[in-house]
Amino acid sequence: MARVYVSSVINSRSDRVWQRVRDFNGLPSWHPGIAESRIENGEPSDKIGCVRDFRLRNGDRIREKLLGLSDFDLFCTYSILESPMGVENYVATLRLTPITDGDRTFAEWTAEFDCPPEREAELVSNIGGGVFQGGFDALKRQFGG
Amino acid sequence: MIRLVRSTIIDAPTDEVWALLRDFNGHDQWHPAVGKSAIERGQSSDKVGCVRHFFLRNGAELREQLLTLSDLEQSFSYCLLDTPVPLFNYVAHVRLAPVTDGNRTFWDWRCSFSTRKGEEAEMARMVGEDIYDAGFAAIRNRLAASAGLEGRA
Repeated sequence: MARVYVSSVINSRSDRVWQRVRDFNGLPSWHPGIAESRIENGEPSDKIGCVRDFRLRNGDRIREKLLGLSDFDLFCTYSILESPMGVENYVATLRLTPITDGDRTFAEWTAEFDCPPEREAELVSNIGGGVFQGGFDALKRQFGG
Repeated sequence: MIRLVRSTIIDAPTDEVWALLRDFNGHDQWHPAVGKSAIERGQSSDKVGCVRHFFLRNGAELREQLLTLSDLEQSFSYCLLDTPVPLFNYVAHVRLAPVTDGNRTFWDWRCSFSTRKGEEAEMARMVGEDIYDAGFAAIRNRLAASAGLEGRA
């Protein structure tokens, strides 16, 4: 089982950051790697079990299922149903925690998945350094640091 | 039931912060409010279930029990057994997490407790400011001081 852990500090209150990231269909509005997204079967994007079908800027298409969403604990958990990445049993969680000292947000993005051993380092680097850190860098820019 | 959360960012890797925090009997070495502290029955301070018996600098005598300790999660929990102030069912959790894009530490310190009617605000202020915020500042200063010493060496 490969694991990815990326975390960052975003210079805004966690409820404001959460407003930005809670929409399971909203990746294109804040993540620079995502071109377009839709929720299948016309379901609301906060219905647990809904599926987002989205396209990366490089053309890759990914389908992910919403497994958990909490407006109280500020986390979102999802799995990959279909992707060209070659991962199995992929489950990821994006979680926000308030930093009470300064009205900032501690953001953590984790993933676990199975893959062939020879591809693990590359996948961990692409997912952690590319997708997750890329998202946090964008949020930091959008929230001014 | 009152729930209290305090959290901060410390400008040092989690391993350095954890090295100071994981010793359940080590708070007399770094927390400005804590005087003498000892683990009862000669037990090791990383034995889950051990009890620390300590005095605050104001003379108050307290006993707290270690409920969980994890080197993997860099977290621990403890509860108050005896205290002269009206803190009932007090359970606290400390958790460290790395800020990976900067090699810093996120430190979350939270608790729940009940108290006598009318004393909620004062108890929350005392725990939040005198214990948690003061603890954050003490660890921050201590790590800054040791980094300064290394810088001069």
